[in-house]
Amino acid sequence: MTFSNTTRSWGALTKALHWVIVILIIAQFLIASRAHSLPRGPALIEAWGWHKSIGMTIFMLAVIRLVWRWMNPVPDLSAEIKPWERKLAKISHVLLYALLFAVPLTGWMMSSAKNFPVSWFSLFQWPDLVAPDPALSKSLETTHETLVKVLFAIALLHIAGALKHHFIDKNDVLKRMLPFGGVR
Amino acid sequence: MTNYMGPVMAALALLAGACHAADTQAQAKPTAAKPATAATAADAAPAAAELPRWVQAPTGSSLVFIFDQAGAASKGSFRKFTTELAYDEKSPAAGSLNVIVQTGTVDTQDQERNDMILSADLFDAQKFPTAQYTAKTLAPTAAGALEAVGQLTIRGVTRDLRLPLKIVKTATGLELSGESAIKRLDYGVGQGEWKTTEGVGDQVKIQYKVALVRAK
Repeated sequence: MTFSNTTRSWGALTKALHWVIVILIIAQFLIASRAHSLPRGPALIEAWGWHKSIGMTIFMLAVIRLVWRWMNPVPDLSAEIKPWERKLAKISHVLLYALLFAVPLTGWMMSSAKNFPVSWFSLFQWPDLVAPDPALSKSLETTHETLVKVLFAIALLHIAGALKHHFIDKNDVLKRMLPFGGVR
Repeated sequence: MTNYMGPVMAALALLAGACHAADTQAQAKPTAAKPATAATAADAAPAAAELPRWVQAPTGSSLVFIFDQAGAASKGSFRKFTTELAYDEKSPAAGSLNVIVQTGTVDTQDQERNDMILSADLFDAQKFPTAQYTAKTLAPTAAGALEAVGQLTIRGVTRDLRLPLKIVKTATGLELSGESAIKRLDYGVGQGEWKTTEGVGDQVKIQYKVALVRAK
């Protein structure tokens, strides 16, 4: 496995970014679910502190990932993959990338509007994107949660596609993104 | 620090002697020493009562506090507070300052957080509707600035606190400003689970700007 992508396979950095973001998104969902069950208090403040720090981490990783994608070749899809599959894959990948930005950004904006600024693991503080505004904060909260649902729906489609390629079409689309799976 | 300890201990010993009659009371309540301080200030500046008096103008003042919440500096303010200042630029040290803050007017731009801050474990605004800062003397600092030498009372707990004051003339009167920091737990703001400083830090920065007009 090479560090960079080739026209045949994904490189180590692309794979690492893919799977680290997957793990962080699952962690985000679990932390947010737990936060919703906590009473108001220091524990709740801490839970949201973690959620925001991890969210901003995903945002930064998404920036790196997008830049890396532009700097690198994208492995070719094998010829047997049909045009409608290519089209659907393209649309879902574009949407997934867009959501990797949109979900953290709406969370960040919502925090600013709520006057609950965002820190990154208490190491530094992100600037506020908008002025405090309770009504705006409420609508951004709804937007943030709706976008998460869309993200999960497309991720399910993404997983279903990968499984179809692996088990039904028996091609290497899934294998070439697995952490230690390799395509020469 | 240590070189202050000698004189301070001596002063305390003298004070204890002076308050001999009320010995036990004086030890139980450090504030019992207050009348002595007031008398000293009055002796030093007999004109204190005749100093020009200034009161807070209806608009143009702010009392902001900045606290650490989950690692991020967060801002809040009090919408209602009143300020009285006795001050003459010719003898600034003779001045005095009194500020009363309506704790119930706390505003962090989030109603749920406001309610939380006013609850029994934090400000307990129902039992302690006001916080107060009283300085019977103003003192010049080594750097040539001015500071109020007084006590801050929050949630029924009184502690000594010196506040830097910048006083400038404006078109309508005076503007008093400055900033300082206190520890919320020193005043018991944080009972029960709020005693932890993990979610909300102990240190709270205070920024004040008060527009004053001459009292009639």
